[in-house]
Amino acid sequence: MNVLLKKNNTKKRPIFLGLLFIIGISILTVGIMLSMSIGIADVHFSHIVESFFINDLSKEHLFVQTIRLPRAIIACLIGGNLAVAGAIMQAITRNPLASPQIFGINAGASFFVVLSAVFFTAASPSSVVYFAFLGATIGGVLVYYLGSSGGMTPVKLALAGITIHFFLSALTEGLIIFNEHTTEGVLFWLAGAVDSKSWQDVKIILPWSLLGLLGSLILAKSISVLSLGENVARGLGQNIGLIRLFSGILVVILAGASVSIAGPIGFVGLIVPHITRYIVGVDYRLVLPFSALFGAILLVYADIIARFIAFPYESPVGIVTAILGAPFFFYLIKRRKKLS
Amino acid sequence: MNRKSSLWFVVIAILALILSACGSTDNNSDESSEESGDERIISHEMGETPISGSPERIVVLEFSFVDALASLGITPVGIADDDDSERIIGPIAEQIGEYTSVGTRKEPSVEIISSLQPDLIIADINRHKDVYEKLSEIAPTIVLSSLSSNYEENVDSFSVIAEALGETEKAEQRLAQHEDTMSELKSNVPENESRTILPAVVTDTGFHAHSSTSYTGSLLESLGFENAIQGTGIEDATNKIDLETLVESNPDIMFFMTSGGETIVSEWQQNPLWEEISAVQNGHVYEVDQNEWSRFRGLIAAELIVEQTINHLYK
Repeated sequence: MNVLLKKNNTKKRPIFLGLLFIIGISILTVGIMLSMSIGIADVHFSHIVESFFINDLSKEHLFVQTIRLPRAIIACLIGGNLAVAGAIMQAITRNPLASPQIFGINAGASFFVVLSAVFFTAASPSSVVYFAFLGATIGGVLVYYLGSSGGMTPVKLALAGITIHFFLSALTEGLIIFNEHTTEGVLFWLAGAVDSKSWQDVKIILPWSLLGLLGSLILAKSISVLSLGENVARGLGQNIGLIRLFSGILVVILAGASVSIAGPIGFVGLIVPHITRYIVGVDYRLVLPFSALFGAILLVYADIIARFIAFPYESPVGIVTAILGAPFFFYLIKRRKKLS
Repeated sequence: MNRKSSLWFVVIAILALILSACGSTDNNSDESSEESGDERIISHEMGETPISGSPERIVVLEFSFVDALASLGITPVGIADDDDSERIIGPIAEQIGEYTSVGTRKEPSVEIISSLQPDLIIADINRHKDVYEKLSEIAPTIVLSSLSSNYEENVDSFSVIAEALGETEKAEQRLAQHEDTMSELKSNVPENESRTILPAVVTDTGFHAHSSTSYTGSLLESLGFENAIQGTGIEDATNKIDLETLVESNPDIMFFMTSGGETIVSEWQQNPLWEEISAVQNGHVYEVDQNEWSRFRGLIAAELIVEQTINHLYK
């Protein structure tokens, strides 16, 4: 890994990174524009551009500004959140399979969100986030303890994660079956979806996203050091316990807030950090912001594909990320086997 | 084992024998009385089931079957009422009185059903296909289409139920009466009525538009209205749609089937797009009871729905 770090520290690096950033932002912008032009109603490209400068309250402008734009923004934020959460987890556990889904964090948050829908029907959407945080913490801590007893290996973590995932999912399903009428809307949400999102949802998730993303940038250097191994980190005078704690809090905020808004969308947090490290190297001061960018790109495009699966019906975006992510997961396991 | 306890053992064994003998004679007399009745072969969604005599202890696993039984003046012993007796709509609750809940429609309790010792079970093809075998072991079971049936199919199911119950004559009378009631109600609708209509179940999490293939949708279309959602290419019986799709379908009349409480509509009303909908502009947005309008699906419910529609729109 040190070799990699050195190799990447050439003088051409800033140009490459700048270019990568510009290309990424361009792809994302195109994606957002596409996302805003696809839907039941015909909206011309000119309407989209126009609506940002003069909103004449025509139907087309309103479709773009009140329905399609917040949806695209939600996709960006959640894609970024999940990717960064996954990257942090992979760094601090030094485990390539770590992600909010494998770690039981999505399942834990989902269980508590459904729980709140059943028992606290009066809970406002902005307070549901706290239930998601609680569930994310419980899910994550459970898997961490099960997976790390006697040294954490990728397989052990995967087993512990799957166990907790199924356990919490079973509880969630039980809740849904026995409370059919209060959970009618939950099923679509459980597959992970960003449709029908409004500015209200953006308002709820934006502060948490900003907090999580900025926090992770501040912590990026320490995370980088920790990703090289505990001994190295300790040798460099890092407080490992403290880094782990803050990283854990960041993961809970990023993944929990995402689940409370869009349900458990899988595989974004697993795939994106790998792709990002492949392109920019292992310095987490770069991995984290670029993961956020690539995560946003992945989810915005996945959401566009989701609309075509059964047009004019909406399909949950979680299905698309699963279709893209499952083969990648196998690839990771296979490559891992070869190395070991 | 000492002598005293072995004596007790013998006494208990004899008692048990006598009791079981009593039980079996009871059963025998039951069966013989049933066999005296004529046997009918009822064909339904899962095959053919022979039924003899007139079943008296009937368990129903969908609300539409409750409506069918109530229309024939029969009270089911067990209803899958989602553990909520409030879901039984007023006029029917009054008529049927006491019954036992057998759990939710989705996951009815086979144990409770079995404990009621039914002689007929009526189940829904969508929800109970997988438990058909189990139910058939308890009692003759007929499976009909309820959840995904339209108005016409629902009336057909009523006739099948009547046949299973050996009440075909009564059913014919009731059907004739139903047709009279409906045509009398329909006479209030002007012949040139061509407005578009959209019935939708609205909850706090979703807006579920019912198309003309749904029960409520097909019933309203039979009055002369055109279902609004069809124009957008969406054809499933029920569809979770977003505000954009609703605005595009632009219904002239909307009926929101709710169970009370906050719904997603209060959020959508904040959006200026809401005012673009024809029904909103013309003041033809009505809130109705989800149990009466969507969950029951039967002769009694249909009469209620049409009556309320006419009261809202023409009176």
